[in-house]
Amino acid sequence: MSAKTTIIIIEDEKNICNFMATTLTAQGYKIITAANAKSGLSLITSCCPDLILLDMGLPDMDGIDVINEIRGWSSIPIIVISARTQEHEKVLALDTGADDYITKPFGPSELFARIRTALRHSNRLNTGARLTLRPYEADGLVIDFEKHLITLRGNEIHLTQVEFKIISLLAQNSGRVMTYDTIISNVWGPYADDNNRILRVNMANIRRKLEKNPAEPHYIFTEIGIGYRMLEDKAG
Amino acid sequence: MTVFHRFFSKDASLYKTYKGQFADAFITFFLLFLATLLSLVYWDISQNAGNVALLYVLALVLIARKTSGYFWSIFASLVGGICVNFLFVYPYYSLHFTFSGYPVTLLGMLAIALTTSTASTSMKRQMQMLADREKLLIEAEKEKMRANLLRAISHDLRTPLTSIIGASTSYLTNNHILNAEQKNELVSHIYEDSNWLLNMVENLLSVTRIQDGVANVSKSYESIEEVISEAVIRLKKRLPDAQLSVQVPDELIMIPMDAILIEQVLFNLVENAVLHSKSDFPIFCYVDQTEDFVTFHVRDYGIGISPDRLSTIFDGTAYTGNSSSDSSRGMGIGLSICKTIITAHKGKINVKSHDKGTEFYFILPKA
Repeated sequence: MSAKTTIIIIEDEKNICNFMATTLTAQGYKIITAANAKSGLSLITSCCPDLILLDMGLPDMDGIDVINEIRGWSSIPIIVISARTQEHEKVLALDTGADDYITKPFGPSELFARIRTALRHSNRLNTGARLTLRPYEADGLVIDFEKHLITLRGNEIHLTQVEFKIISLLAQNSGRVMTYDTIISNVWGPYADDNNRILRVNMANIRRKLEKNPAEPHYIFTEIGIGYRMLEDKAG
Repeated sequence: MTVFHRFFSKDASLYKTYKGQFADAFITFFLLFLATLLSLVYWDISQNAGNVALLYVLALVLIARKTSGYFWSIFASLVGGICVNFLFVYPYYSLHFTFSGYPVTLLGMLAIALTTSTASTSMKRQMQMLADREKLLIEAEKEKMRANLLRAISHDLRTPLTSIIGASTSYLTNNHILNAEQKNELVSHIYEDSNWLLNMVENLLSVTRIQDGVANVSKSYESIEEVISEAVIRLKKRLPDAQLSVQVPDELIMIPMDAILIEQVLFNLVENAVLHSKSDFPIFCYVDQTEDFVTFHVRDYGIGISPDRLSTIFDGTAYTGNSSSDSSRGMGIGLSICKTIITAHKGKINVKSHDKGTEFYFILPKA
């Protein structure tokens, strides 16, 4: 890495901030920390980081407002840090424009994985390389978006039109969580009923075709109350 | 604002009493009218004035029972007396208060009205008192449960905290004496204990999602396979070596629940099974269903639980038993929280022994 990837951490808990800064610096990232939203926002405008780690419970500003402010002028990936039981807050953050979230408490490996995924997706946006030109590939599952072809360890899998739409959306955003609302409006259009039962039924069908055991999924994971996350693309 | 509010609330309570008065008046007039109607019909058939009076008395008793206060029953007894005099005593369709025995009839009806309304008023008051006492008892019970839980928690939290503080202090102060292996051991103890603390805190947090204890969780339809898979993934993260086999029905089942809470229950049950069964055989987690209910089973093939402990295992009192071992710490709280969660979902949780171990299961309604 010639030019170091810069990450801004906005977090008011000093201990957590230190832990993240130490582990991420050891991984070769350049870390800038801010203890509140105001200084965080001004640091973002002056440093133009590659990624933002944002704690939702800041003393001076609501996390959602911070996301709104950043999204007003930039598409820098934002990873939200939040507690386990606050699903509504997470969904709201994701629908406001955050790229992903990580649940407190988390280990270093989880943090690295989220950061890698977010950076990968933003790089693709910046360079203009379209994922759809290249098939998704992970652990024997290959999805060819152009040919509408899905194979699992060489065997072709037949999906309905809607099922294919859902899985392509998840695969193109592999490693990231997609909220129910995002999936529904992408597959059924913006005016679709926001009742997510139909999505669950389709997802159950997809799982029965893809997974060995639907209760122990390998490719598509559920984030309860939030959405779905697909196994990260191994090829890219 | 406050003046307006006070005025408004006064208005509302006035409205309420008006409404009650109106209902009482309606009952009174309706029953009197009914009695008169029946009496007229009866009079037409048999010309017996004594039974007519009885009909009025019956109406009177009912009115005294149904309305509140004395006003309407006295009113009804007067109206009844006049009606009997006017309609069914010779000369008909005119009032004569002078014939022999009539004042006695009137007084008798009044007395009946008064005693019945006294009795029904005191009965109502007693019922109110009973209901109040019941409410107080439930409240006290809840308070007691809360206090017990708090005591248990603070006791249980102290143990891992002691170990964490001890290990980290010894790491910091004896840094130069300890070799790498010892340091590693200290830190891994800290790691293990803080993980245990985290679980405890997650459990406690999940209880705060249940407001007011009973049957008050925000439910939405969730697919059970997703909930189970979440619990399993969380468990694999916590205990990577755990052996587990999971099975769900082929069809998609969606039932109303608070998924985070049910996931917590499954996680607790499976974690207990992994940690306490002392068996290398995989934990078997499966689901079956009847027309109205879904049952989740968590079955282990381990050392089993003694029968006298089985009966109180969900009470949250298991931790006070004389088995003062660290191995079972927190198990009582975890299970009592499971029970709280399942009860709040109007389900049932239970445990039974089978040939080679223990099985915990809980039943949730499909609608």
